[in-house]
Amino acid sequence: MDLAVGTNLDRFVIIVYFVIVMGFGAYFGKYSKTTSDYFFGGRRFSWWLITISIVATGIGSHSFVKYSTKAYQYGFSSTMTYMNDWFFMPLFMFGWLPIIYYTRVGSIPEYFEKRFNKTARSLATLMILVYMIGYIAIQFLTLATALYRIYGIPLMATVVIIAVATTIYMHFGGQTSVIFTDLFQGLILIFSGLLLFFLGLNYLADHTALGGLQAFWQNLTPDQKLPLAHFNRPPDFNFVGIFWQDGIAGSVGFLFLNQGLIMRFMAARSVNEGRKAAAFNVLLVLPISAIVVSNAGWIGRAIANAVPGALPAGMEGNDVFVAVTNVVSSPGVFGFIIAALCAALMSTADTLVNASSAIIVNDVYRPLAKKKTNDKEQLKIARFTSIGVKVIAVILVPFFNSFDSIYEAHGWFHSTFTPPLVVAVFLGIFWKRFTTPAVIATFVLGAALMILGQFFPELVKPFSHGIELRPGRGYYYIGALYNIAVCAGVGVIVSLFTDPEPKEKLKGLTLSDVNLLREIFKGSKPNDRLGEGVTVLWKLIDSEEDIVCFSKHEMDKMAAEVGDLVYVSDSRKWLGGLKSIHSVYGEPHEEEGIVYISEEQLGHGQFVKDKSLIAEKEM
Amino acid sequence: MLDFSRTWLPFLYLYGVGGIAFIVGMILILRTKALNKEIAHHRIWLKVLYFGFGFYITLHAVFILLALGIS
Repeated sequence: MDLAVGTNLDRFVIIVYFVIVMGFGAYFGKYSKTTSDYFFGGRRFSWWLITISIVATGIGSHSFVKYSTKAYQYGFSSTMTYMNDWFFMPLFMFGWLPIIYYTRVGSIPEYFEKRFNKTARSLATLMILVYMIGYIAIQFLTLATALYRIYGIPLMATVVIIAVATTIYMHFGGQTSVIFTDLFQGLILIFSGLLLFFLGLNYLADHTALGGLQAFWQNLTPDQKLPLAHFNRPPDFNFVGIFWQDGIAGSVGFLFLNQGLIMRFMAARSVNEGRKAAAFNVLLVLPISAIVVSNAGWIGRAIANAVPGALPAGMEGNDVFVAVTNVVSSPGVFGFIIAALCAALMSTADTLVNASSAIIVNDVYRPLAKKKTNDKEQLKIARFTSIGVKVIAVILVPFFNSFDSIYEAHGWFHSTFTPPLVVAVFLGIFWKRFTTPAVIATFVLGAALMILGQFFPELVKPFSHGIELRPGRGYYYIGALYNIAVCAGVGVIVSLFTDPEPKEKLKGLTLSDVNLLREIFKGSKPNDRLGEGVTVLWKLIDSEEDIVCFSKHEMDKMAAEVGDLVYVSDSRKWLGGLKSIHSVYGEPHEEEGIVYISEEQLGHGQFVKDKSLIAEKEM
Repeated sequence: MLDFSRTWLPFLYLYGVGGIAFIVGMILILRTKALNKEIAHHRIWLKVLYFGFGFYITLHAVFILLALGIS
């Protein structure tokens, strides 16, 4: 279809948006002084900042395009994938999150080395990198699909322009830039998604004799209003296939294995802040996000039913979002909403690129480097690695463009690449008996059985739940169930025939030791006496130790003892922990209302003279 | 036609199979004391976890009823 959309004003708005985000991201580069800052933002942010940042990461540009397409075709059941994440929250919030936070692993593959061995780490590194770089390629493809209609630039050239634009702020900023640009972009994309819904209702009100909401509801059939798809029909969009592909493999993959998301939680100032971010995200933000990404399709369907001919005839699936936006919005507003699509892409891609470079530096460069390099050199390598990751992602774009739709490309990708990792990480955390030979067999033999399943669909048939086989395409989404079953089967069988791991090796790495992790993290018994926060001013002290010193009175108020862990932040809550440090209580002094900090801590926390600080005991 | 496979079967499967994953998770974190009911803020989290499960069941059920025109 020839879909020429947008005016010069729209094109101008999109360019202005790109420039603002690049400037915003580059500004926050000053907060990245070490690799820890670059990758984890210094583990200092508040839950609300992490939550909005997760929204921006979770909603990619592919989300707008693919969910609008399915929403147009199937109605409210397009929301399924956003509403099935609660099942794994207990294990995530009280199992995986404390394990990764307190063991201070720099990446998920590093956990595999601690829990198993170096070979397991290498295999996990390879699989996670393929997963994330493929994910980035899908993001580039989606946004390019939308933008090349507006600017008329060839698809691949658009992909390259987008990759260069995101590189500019990421290259200098790292995780702190990512989190703060995501805060900005997360708010923009939620606002513009809801704005589009409002404009759509307005359009329906103007073109029918009913009110907007009434016209919307009455122009959808009962079938389109159901929140879950048909159990096993049609083969390209059915409930049970999507449940296993997204609700199980996708949810576990996203929560437990997406290094980008894990790094968000590791940037939280404490495990409890991470839990708050996770709960708030799944309970409130995901349902809102489902509306944000799908509503263009619902509105489009209602318009097609109520005002025949309003939308272009022969519209392709991937064009629904752009076409509906073009019909319901005015010049300038259209540009703003497309800018939100850019926001979705940039905020997801930047997270994944940052995460990929974290894995390359942490799991490829550091273990292989013959001579030890300092943190500054590693930071430089991280920055250039992020460019390399984008180049590979751009090269992969044509492959994903060969699928019928972005939804199918994404579904195939999830169901194929996540199951071995999902099984390995799950059994690793929750089953002490899972052994090193078993995890390697899961990766190698499990992957081989998965490939067999791609070539011989009859192997997948017993898992198909009656879904029709598509000649030459296999069973698609339900393939995830077969993949999980064969990987888990291999893992369990090999474990039972190999020797258990020594207890000492597993200490602090499985769910059964989670209550010991705080002690391991602190290095001594946690102090859980209830205290309160204190407000103080800072003074410098000439010290190279990582300690901060409060008055005796304030130590008592916080119920703190020398050697306990403390979190000190700027008292302006809206900064979300941007200006803050973690440290250890030193010997108390007699000067009330004053905390003594070192020059290095001042630089790291970026504290401002005469601005008060709030200190809280951590443990 | 809106038969059982289109309306309530996906709902029952979602909260049946998903429910098993949720319950197994709850049992594991309670047994290992990863969620320790003796700690005050963990008790709040316990309620949040149950609430979240109930919230999504209710949300999906209400939408199915609304779609079927049953109020």
